Amino acid sequence: MFAAATLATCFGIAPAKAQDVVKIGEIEAQTGALNTYGWMSSQGMRMAVEEINKAGGFEVAGKKYKLQLLNPDTQGNPQQALIELKGMLEQDHAKYVFGPFLTNIYKGIEPYATGFDGKFLLIGGATAIHFDLGKAQHGYLMRSWNWDAGPSGFGSLMVANLKQRGAKKVAMLMQNDAFGHVARDIYAPLFQKEGIQFDEEWFEPGTTDFSSVLAKIAAGKPDYLFPGYSDAVLYDIVRQATEVGLTKIWLVRGSLGPGLKNKDALDEYIIYIPKYFEEAQNTEPKVKKFIADYKAFYKTDFPYDQAPLCSSSCYDHVFMLVEAMQKAGSVDDVAKVKQALMSITYKGLWETRYDETGEEVINFDVVDIKKGGNIEVSHFTPK
Amino acid sequence: MLQLFVGQLLNGVIVGTLYGIIALGVTLTFGITGIVNFALGAFMAIGAYTSWYLTDVVGIAYPVAVPLAVLVVAVFGLLADQTLFRFTRNNLINGLIVSIGLISVIQSVLLMLWTTTPKNMHYILPGVLNLDLFIVPKMKGVVFLVLLAVILATYAALTRTWAGRAAYAFAQAPEAAKLMGVRTGFLQTGVVVYSTALAGLGGALYASLYSLEVSMGSSYILKGFEAAILAGIGTVMGSLMGGIVLGVTEAVGSIFFPQAYRDAYGLVFLVLILLFRPSGLFVRTR
Repeated sequence: MFAAATLATCFGIAPAKAQDVVKIGEIEAQTGALNTYGWMSSQGMRMAVEEINKAGGFEVAGKKYKLQLLNPDTQGNPQQALIELKGMLEQDHAKYVFGPFLTNIYKGIEPYATGFDGKFLLIGGATAIHFDLGKAQHGYLMRSWNWDAGPSGFGSLMVANLKQRGAKKVAMLMQNDAFGHVARDIYAPLFQKEGIQFDEEWFEPGTTDFSSVLAKIAAGKPDYLFPGYSDAVLYDIVRQATEVGLTKIWLVRGSLGPGLKNKDALDEYIIYIPKYFEEAQNTEPKVKKFIADYKAFYKTDFPYDQAPLCSSSCYDHVFMLVEAMQKAGSVDDVAKVKQALMSITYKGLWETRYDETGEEVINFDVVDIKKGGNIEVSHFTPK
Repeated sequence: MLQLFVGQLLNGVIVGTLYGIIALGVTLTFGITGIVNFALGAFMAIGAYTSWYLTDVVGIAYPVAVPLAVLVVAVFGLLADQTLFRFTRNNLINGLIVSIGLISVIQSVLLMLWTTTPKNMHYILPGVLNLDLFIVPKMKGVVFLVLLAVILATYAALTRTWAGRAAYAFAQAPEAAKLMGVRTGFLQTGVVVYSTALAGLGGALYASLYSLEVSMGSSYILKGFEAAILAGIGTVMGSLMGGIVLGVTEAVGSIFFPQAYRDAYGLVFLVLILLFRPSGLFVRTR
């Protein structure tokens, strides 16, 4: 130790100080059947960290910092996620962790994370986070995804829109898991409020042949099928739905991919999309730059179908966190940084702010794929 | 309601042939080598991923990709037999352990190659046949016909060719078959390879209907075993019928009961059958 100090003094070599680097963690599934949500977040986060560091880092209270990203792969497994979070909090002492997007992962880490309340921030998109915002010992939580219900909720708006389209009956086909039941609990009252009959059917994880249950649903003649909730099942459900005559699909999770693949057999495929990148790249310079940067960074095509999921714990959120740290004048006072995050509106790919509970509010799009692939996009900016 | 019932009856028959092709592999392998090969589900996954890769990534036409995928799986089957199963013949426990280990190896390799992200093949034959009383997706119809033809051809080969009769003879009395000039080692290897090729065919056809993920074979091997036990181990046409009974039970059961428990319907039916016919539905009792 003495020798190291002497060397440093003699040759002017300053040992790397821990506070020169701000570690940010990310717990997302980058592979696995449910990786759709986490993969894009990871892609965007790597880009943001690289961009900030390449520009020389960022300054807080007169001192320069760089970012270090810790983003292992949870594979959608709660136990794996817990191991990773423990590593981030106990070994790496990360104060800012992004994710998870999956409710089952959040449920798996929540009891452990609660023990670190006040010591770090967990900024994730999981639907179940909504229910814990503002609860005692959950001050560490912020939710990085628009909430479905409520006056600004995209789900409320979409259900009201469905009513305007004349829908009288909607059949939900959801995976029998944590998020599936949360989705039912959110949407059943919304449909009831609008006077739309709401039927529900469930399937087990791992199901690929939905033809029986879809035929049963079709026999009930619903106006729209509301399937859930990830592309891993949506490709099979949407294809098989069209085969039994269910050609109007309405979703609140998932991507455009299954709709576009079945565009000739579908009448309507209505989906909440945080941003329709195909259109936005022509109208928003920041989106155009992001797409070009992405292609250069990963040396691959831009994943238009996955990109909307970059609205949660992704590219913008890293810049927003840096801005909040600068405003707070601290990189490690999590209470101050949270306060700063809650007070700013960040204008990046999205216009992002947090409401009084710590839930994200962003502008979003609703995309309607018509038969043959014609697309109509509606833009919404919540109040 | 009638349309729904008839439609699901037919759907159950079609899905059941997929169970049947795996059941056929199970029954052939067990009958000739004494091995309970649980890895057939993993071989099915190899067939599925290979056909997807050849079709969607390499760009080979699907009708060409399917036999190529079957060939690839058959080669893997031969390798597995010569390096592993050859040493476990007629040893139920050792064969079982080796086959379970092989599942882990195959799934790990598939994971390394293509991750756990599901793969979706482009549509080979989109659209449905609407026959008033029921609707059949065209591709499902093609898959059914191919599988039915292969199972019938297998039955014909086993009953009408010398090799087939030799296999039957070996299954009934190995020593006597050996004394009559049957090359038993060659026969056993041939059956293991053929069984894996059948699983590969099932997988290659599966890929045209559903999304792929590495553990896809797990449920199919269980269904294959259920079908084989339901029919009675050792009956070729029984494997087909066992698969169909299982498929129909699941499909029709899902009309009247929740879909979430569809796997249970087949199992309940299996238990009921075994209570009354312990040797299986299609085995003649003396």
